[in-house]
Amino acid sequence: MAAWIRRLLARVQGMFGGGPSDEERAREIAAHLALLEEQFRTQGLTEEEARRQAHLRLGNAVVIREEVREMSGVPFVENLLRDVGYALRQMRKSPGFAVTAVLTLALGVGVNTAVFSVVNGLLFSSLHIRQESRVVTVGFKQKGTPWNSSFSFAEFHDLHDQTKDVFSDVIAEQYGLDGLSVQPLLGRFFLPSEGETPGADPVIVLSYAYWKRYFAGDPGVIGRRVTLDGRPVTIVGVAPREYKGVITLLAVQAYLPLAMVTQIENIPADLWNKRDSRNIAIYARLRPGVTAQRADAALMVLARRFATEDPASEQDAAMQTFPMYRARTGNLDAQNATGVVSAFFLGLAGLVLLLACVNVANLLMVRATVRQREMVIRSALGAQRSRLVRQMLTESVLLALFGGVAGVGLGLWGSAMLRSANLQTDLPLYFDFGFDWHVFLFSVAAAVLAGVLVGLLPALRVARANLNLLLREGSRTLASGGGRFRDALVVVQVGSALVLLIVAGLFSRSLTKLEHVDLGFNPSHMLTLTTDPSEIGYNNGQSRDFYRSLLTRLRALPGVESVTIAGSTPMGMINNASDSVTISGYQPPPGQGPPVVGYNVISTDYFHTMRIPLIEGRSFSNSDDEKGLYVAIVSEAMAKKFWPNEDPIGRRFTMSGDSAHVLQVVGVAKDARYLDINGPIAPYFYVPFLQHYQQSPLQSFELRTVGSPEGVISEVEDAIHGMAPALPVFEVKTMQQALDTPNGLLLFQVVAVMTGIMGTLGLALAVIGVYGVLSYVVSRKTGEIGVRMALGAQRADILRMVYRQGLWIVGIGLALGLGASFAVSHLLRSMIAVSATDPLTYIAVPAILAAIALLACYLPARRAMRVEPMSALRTE
Amino acid sequence: MSSKEREPVQILQGTLDLIVMRTLETMGPQHAYQIATRLEQVSESLLNLNQGTLYPALVRLEQYGWIRGEWGRTENNREAKFYALTKAGRKALEKETERWRTMAGLVERFLAEEA
Repeated sequence: MAAWIRRLLARVQGMFGGGPSDEERAREIAAHLALLEEQFRTQGLTEEEARRQAHLRLGNAVVIREEVREMSGVPFVENLLRDVGYALRQMRKSPGFAVTAVLTLALGVGVNTAVFSVVNGLLFSSLHIRQESRVVTVGFKQKGTPWNSSFSFAEFHDLHDQTKDVFSDVIAEQYGLDGLSVQPLLGRFFLPSEGETPGADPVIVLSYAYWKRYFAGDPGVIGRRVTLDGRPVTIVGVAPREYKGVITLLAVQAYLPLAMVTQIENIPADLWNKRDSRNIAIYARLRPGVTAQRADAALMVLARRFATEDPASEQDAAMQTFPMYRARTGNLDAQNATGVVSAFFLGLAGLVLLLACVNVANLLMVRATVRQREMVIRSALGAQRSRLVRQMLTESVLLALFGGVAGVGLGLWGSAMLRSANLQTDLPLYFDFGFDWHVFLFSVAAAVLAGVLVGLLPALRVARANLNLLLREGSRTLASGGGRFRDALVVVQVGSALVLLIVAGLFSRSLTKLEHVDLGFNPSHMLTLTTDPSEIGYNNGQSRDFYRSLLTRLRALPGVESVTIAGSTPMGMINNASDSVTISGYQPPPGQGPPVVGYNVISTDYFHTMRIPLIEGRSFSNSDDEKGLYVAIVSEAMAKKFWPNEDPIGRRFTMSGDSAHVLQVVGVAKDARYLDINGPIAPYFYVPFLQHYQQSPLQSFELRTVGSPEGVISEVEDAIHGMAPALPVFEVKTMQQALDTPNGLLLFQVVAVMTGIMGTLGLALAVIGVYGVLSYVVSRKTGEIGVRMALGAQRADILRMVYRQGLWIVGIGLALGLGASFAVSHLLRSMIAVSATDPLTYIAVPAILAAIALLACYLPARRAMRVEPMSALRTE
Repeated sequence: MSSKEREPVQILQGTLDLIVMRTLETMGPQHAYQIATRLEQVSESLLNLNQGTLYPALVRLEQYGWIRGEWGRTENNREAKFYALTKAGRKALEKETERWRTMAGLVERFLAEEA
């Protein structure tokens, strides 16, 4: 055993009272002294002189013992333990202070934990896939398009076969489940051969949640035949519990072999095989030792090969790898909105933490002033400055850790609230904002950072303080010296609070505006619901006939004014169809592919039911069926974009998904908001159901009701089940409810509430800061105020004196905060529905903040006015 | 005090341990007072040390496991703690002596060159 290890062990042993005790050392030294005394006595010195000489010869016995004691222990740990004990005693002595500080920090840390747990859930939490760090997503782009993650089946195939030197697995997760997950919980995943031929492999793998819910976790489920959209499939496996798919928020319920999708979703085989019919997301696992750069180079070569071999659909193709977190929100582009929003919210939460830290730092500084005498005396008695600083830091870090623990609790409660937010949809959405080690580390880091930040300032003041001056001048110097600095901190608080409040103001103004925005249709007195007759085995023709007679039945219901079929509902998340269109007489800008336009499949009464006015031409009629001319109605925006200053009626275009039919424009409808509640309205067009029923058997009904829409729900459901008793009806909502989706108002509601909470917290913290600093000033200046009053100052003068300082702090804070708010809201301008310099927000919010802050000044000012000159002078 | 007027020497860092161990090797088990007295004798009071300075060295050596202390009685029947070299201590002393000689020889060589 090396000697130094033995020594360390001896020290640790010493720390716990092992080894020679302090008393034993004292005994040894006393014995030594006795021997020395004896020596001097034999040399003929007197008793007293001998004792004196012995002490001189030995040196200071106390110092020796001290030194030896330091050696027989682990001073760092011992000091730390002593400091912690001391800090705990201090907290117990002033519980009010401790509770205030811990709660303030808990709020700060809590907000950060909640926001980070959401960001983590969206972007960084584990996907529970094998070798997660080696898995990338592949992006595709052509000239003029942003990076996206859609590939055609043919492209997937080529990618799979021709990148074997850089990727060990190439996976299409969207419909199939291959090498991504770990082991199946039960049964097996798909074989390499499955998923190659459209419709050939009727097998299915269930997700854990679905298996638990619909099969009660039955282990004998493997091999059972079930019906999927009217087609028999065999369950071959169950995915493990943690695995929820790759896309954030959307919980995959079951997995099919890739090519099975053609059958389930009724995709014609020729469309499936088209090179530019892209809707498969691709993930790949890098081979050991292969960097992303090398994979990118290989993909670039492949993309060039694509472009030369098939210039028609692969012109200027480019491919590149992206990290998985970019794929999780389904948007590869650099302007990744989720990333920006996440960073933005973390920034806001950071501001709240900063505000909390400043308040606690101020509290600690006041306490440091109170305890200054103690520090001065200890310092004068020989305590090292570094020890004093360390002790104060221990205290603040301890406070922050308590605050952190409470904050994590608060944060988890907050994220649980967010998680349980009702999304009002039957879609299998899930929020996975759990607490994992990412969140834990983040919260601990936030708490410790807060502790150091909070403790360092007062601690350094003590360290720098001039002891002699302090001892001579009493408790004054440090306080007045810190005044300017403390004012600056509160200025920062006021400024930060203003930023938080203005952001909250902009979002809540956006929400109000959007709640009253002209959608282009009238959402009141409307009911929507969705069905899919293929779920009970109807083919597309049967579905069409079913829908036709259902329309007649529903129209006859007494409470229903009119009814229509629509492929998708506004702001809905189902069937949001779009296609690239070729328009005769319209040349896309050079280098760009054909424009992609959203559309809806509707029946005859659509415009009447939705109250969307037709500007020109005619609506669809029952004769617009497969035997008739193929027709379309375009939106105003589409007409303006593709046929500016021309009459759009009679113009023609083709959808690439149905190139066999040329569509002729027969009408122009006023713009209505379909996909986004905010921003410019994109071009849009409508096609008749009777000509496009083959696309999807899943359709929504939109009913305009005479009375309240809720009143007809049971009648409508009865009517449907009267015709098809087993047909599931889902997403039954009033149109107003239907608008509260993530595409509609929901995000604005959530964001407005979140920024509102943070703004209110910021306001409260800043007001406490202003109040605290002025109260402190008043209590410090009691003597001065007494003198002034004794010399004839009026109470109004005193009020003015206190207010002058308050006004300065609030004024400068507001000015700085306004500047910062302009910068921040400039970043926000694409996310809000009002101008980034919305005058109402910029006038009202600072005014409110100023009013509340000045109100906070009043309490200390009143106390100052009530100072009795005589008693103030006496205590001085 | 010695009658000769010579400047007292500052002890080199780390050498005190070596001196103490060597003392224990030649004199057998000793208590702190004896070690200090022996130091003064050998150095002819050149080493102007407080005797208390010995204690950190004793503690350190004990922690290394090179010496061990035991309470006993002096010839005048006073109690004192006697320190003795351990087996590991003898080995360490050998190594340290070697090290010191090399070091001292090296420094001496440089000094000789200068002269």
